[in-house]
Amino acid sequence: MSTKKSISRRDFLKLTGMAVLGSAAACTPAATEAPPAPAEPTTAPAVPEPTQAPAVIGKPFDGKTVRMHAITGGNYDELYKLIPKWEEQTGAKVEFVFKGNGFETDKRLVQDFAAGTVDYDVAWDHSSFFSQYVKADGLEPLDNYFSPEDLSDFIPRLVDAARRDDKLWVIPRHFDISCTHYRTDLGLSKAPETWDEFKAAALDITKNNPGIFGTQFAGKEEALSGRFYEVQTAEGGQLFDDKWEPTFNSPAGVKAATMFAELYAAGAMPPDMTNFLWEDVANQFVNGVIGVYTEWFGWYSYFQDPAASKVAGKFDIARQPMGDGGVHSGWAGHHGFSITKAAKEKEAAADLIKFLTSVEGNEMEAKLGILVSRQSVWDKLIKEAETSTDPLAKKRLELALLQAQEDFKTPPLIAEWLPMSNILYPVLQEIILGDVEPQKGLDDAATQVREMMSKAGYY
Amino acid sequence: MTVQAQRQDIVSKKGFSLQLPERHLPITLLLPSIIFIALVVGLPMLYSLYLSFTDYTLTSGSNFHFVGLENYKHLLFDDPMFWKVFGRTILFITLAVNLEFLLGLGIAQLMARAIRGQSLARTLMMMPMMFAPILVGLQFKWFFNAQVGLVNNILYTITGTAHLIPWLIEKNLGFISILVAEIWMSTPFMVIILEAGILSLPQEPFEAADIDGASGWQKFQLLTLPMLMPFVYTAMAIRSLDIARAYDVVSIMTGGGPANRTELIWTYVNRLAFTGQQFAMGSAMSYITVIFSFIFTYMLFQNVLKSRWAGEMGEL
Repeated sequence: MSTKKSISRRDFLKLTGMAVLGSAAACTPAATEAPPAPAEPTTAPAVPEPTQAPAVIGKPFDGKTVRMHAITGGNYDELYKLIPKWEEQTGAKVEFVFKGNGFETDKRLVQDFAAGTVDYDVAWDHSSFFSQYVKADGLEPLDNYFSPEDLSDFIPRLVDAARRDDKLWVIPRHFDISCTHYRTDLGLSKAPETWDEFKAAALDITKNNPGIFGTQFAGKEEALSGRFYEVQTAEGGQLFDDKWEPTFNSPAGVKAATMFAELYAAGAMPPDMTNFLWEDVANQFVNGVIGVYTEWFGWYSYFQDPAASKVAGKFDIARQPMGDGGVHSGWAGHHGFSITKAAKEKEAAADLIKFLTSVEGNEMEAKLGILVSRQSVWDKLIKEAETSTDPLAKKRLELALLQAQEDFKTPPLIAEWLPMSNILYPVLQEIILGDVEPQKGLDDAATQVREMMSKAGYY
Repeated sequence: MTVQAQRQDIVSKKGFSLQLPERHLPITLLLPSIIFIALVVGLPMLYSLYLSFTDYTLTSGSNFHFVGLENYKHLLFDDPMFWKVFGRTILFITLAVNLEFLLGLGIAQLMARAIRGQSLARTLMMMPMMFAPILVGLQFKWFFNAQVGLVNNILYTITGTAHLIPWLIEKNLGFISILVAEIWMSTPFMVIILEAGILSLPQEPFEAADIDGASGWQKFQLLTLPMLMPFVYTAMAIRSLDIARAYDVVSIMTGGGPANRTELIWTYVNRLAFTGQQFAMGSAMSYITVIFSFIFTYMLFQNVLKSRWAGEMGEL
C-alpha cells in the first residue's frame, strides 16, 4: 500500500522557479538580456605579409588601425574594395568589426551606444537613424574634420539632411528617393501629376485591366509610415508643428490616409499589401501585376532586366505627384559614414571617410547604379548617359538629380522618428483595412505620439 | 575497500587532498557552473528587472530615472493593447496545445498499433521538428500568400475560380494561419511523448478488460487515457511554455500585424522594446509575462503530481 507522497512547496518553487526563469532568459527577446558585446570581426583584419617592405616614412597614419562598423549586401561591398588603396596611401589598416544589412546595423549601433560598448571608429549611418545615435551621445560632430571646401561638391540637400543642432554628423555616401513608375502598355498616356490623378489612374487601370492592380504601397513598418509622410506632405500637411505637437491628423493627413483606404477598398491594391515590404512591392511590379506606383530608383536595373522582369521596356518613370500643398512628394534618405565619440583614431577615421566619399568612390558606386552624393559625378554621369542605348538612362539620372536638388525630404531628424512610426503604421493599417475611420485613427495616433514625445521631454 | 577509502587512496597518491566532507562535494563540483549561470543569466535578468522600474529607452544613454511601478501600472491599467495581446496569446496557447494534443493522441494511437513501418512513420513524423521555426514561418507565409500561395491555388484547382483570399490579413484568418503553422510544426512532439507513454503502459489491465469484454472505446476511456495522464500533463506543460514564447513563426508570417491582428506577447515586447525603443516598458512586460508563466506552470505541475499520486494509489 502506497502512502501519499508530497513535495514541499518550497522545493517545488525552487525547481519551477529555476525552470521558468531559465526558459524566460533563454527566450525573452533581449528585453531581459544585456546588450551584446560587439561582434567579432566578420572580416579578418589584414595581416601584413612577412615579406612586405617597412612602411614608408611619412605616411600619415602609419601603424594605426581604424575599426569600422559597416553595412553589407547588395552593391554596398564594392566600395570596400578601394580600402587597400587607402591603406597603402596612409599606412593605416581597416578592420571591420561588424557587417550587416541596414536594419541589423542600426539595431546593433543602438544597442552598442546604449550599452557603451562602442569600440570602433567609423560607423555606417543613415539620415533616418543618426538622430538616435546623437541623442545617445554616441557620435562625434564632424565640423572640425570637414571644411566647407571638403563639402562643396556634395548635393546641398544631402548635407543639410546630415545636420542637426547646427552640427554635421554624417558624410553622405549615396541616397535614394522614389519616383513614379508606370506601365506604358496599360492605357496610361502620361504620368499622374497630382495624387488625385494618381488615385484616378489606379482605379482606371484596375477597372480596365483584369488581373492587374492599379497600384500598391509597401504596407508595414517604416515603409508605410514613410509613404504616408510623403503623400500628406505633398497635400500640404506636416508631421509636427514648430513646437513638436503632432499635426498629421490635419485635413492633409486625413486626405492621404483616405486615399490609401479607398484604393484598398476598391480592390486597386493587392489584398495582402499590408504584409508587403520593399522586395515584395518590387517583385509585384516585375511580375507585371501593378499599373503605377512609387518606387526607389535603386531597383531600376532589376526592372529593366528582361530575364527577371516581365515589365522590362514597358514602363516609364516620372517625378512624384504633387498634392494640394503644391509640392512634390519626396521621402528620401541617404547612407553615409559617421565617427563615433568613442573613436580612438578620429583623424584617421575622418581621412578614411573622405576617401570613401571621394569622387573616386562615388564614381565606382555610380557605375553600379547607385545614386551618389557628389554633384560633379552626376554631371559626368549625365553626359555619359547621352550615348547610352537604354532609352531611360539619361532621363532617369536627370530626374533623380532634380529630385535630389528640389524634392529631397527626410522624415524629422529626431531620435523619435522610428518610435513614432512604430505607433503610426499599425493605425494606418487599421485605416487601410477599414477597421477605423481615417480621422479617428489619426487622432488616436496623434494622442499616442504626443504622449511619447512628452515622455521624451519635448514639452 | 569502501568507495570513500578508495577516493582517499587516489587523492593521497596524487599528492593532494580536497579536505572536504562527503556532503559538500556535490555542491563544490557544481559551484563553477552555478557561478557561470548566475553571471550570464542571473545578472542580465536582474539588470533588466531594475530597468523595468526606470524610464530607460534605447536612446537615453545614462540619462534615465527610477520611476517605481509606473511601467507596470501603465501596462496593467492604461494600455488596452497589452490585455488584448495577452488574451490573444492565452487563446493561442489554449487552442494550439489542445489541438496538438488531440492530433498527437490520435496519431500516437495509430502508430503504436502499426504492425509494420513504425520506424519509417516515426522518422517522417519528426520531420517538421527538423525545420528551424524561421523556415516554417517562410514556408507557411508562402502557403497562405493571397496571390501565388499554395492554399489559394488548391482552391482555384478545386473550384475553377480564382480566390484571392488574404489569409494572413483577414481578421480571424491571420490568427488561424499562424495557429496552423504552429500546430504543424509541433504536433510531432506530442506524438513522440504520447506514443512513448502508450508503449510503456502495463498490458495486464488491457488483457483483463479484454476478458471482461470491454469495447475499444471503454478501454481507451477507462484505461489508456487515465494511465496516460502524467505523460499528457508533462507534454502539455512543455508545449504551453514553448508556445508562450512563440515569436519566430509569427514574426516571419505576419510580424504581429496587420493592425496588430496577430500580435502575440513576444512580438509586442519586441516591437515596444526595440522598434519603439521603450526598453524599460518592454522589460516590465516581460516580467509580467514571466510571473503569469510561473503561476501557470505551478498549477500545471500540481496536476502532474496529482495524476501521478492518483495513479500510484490505484485511484484510477
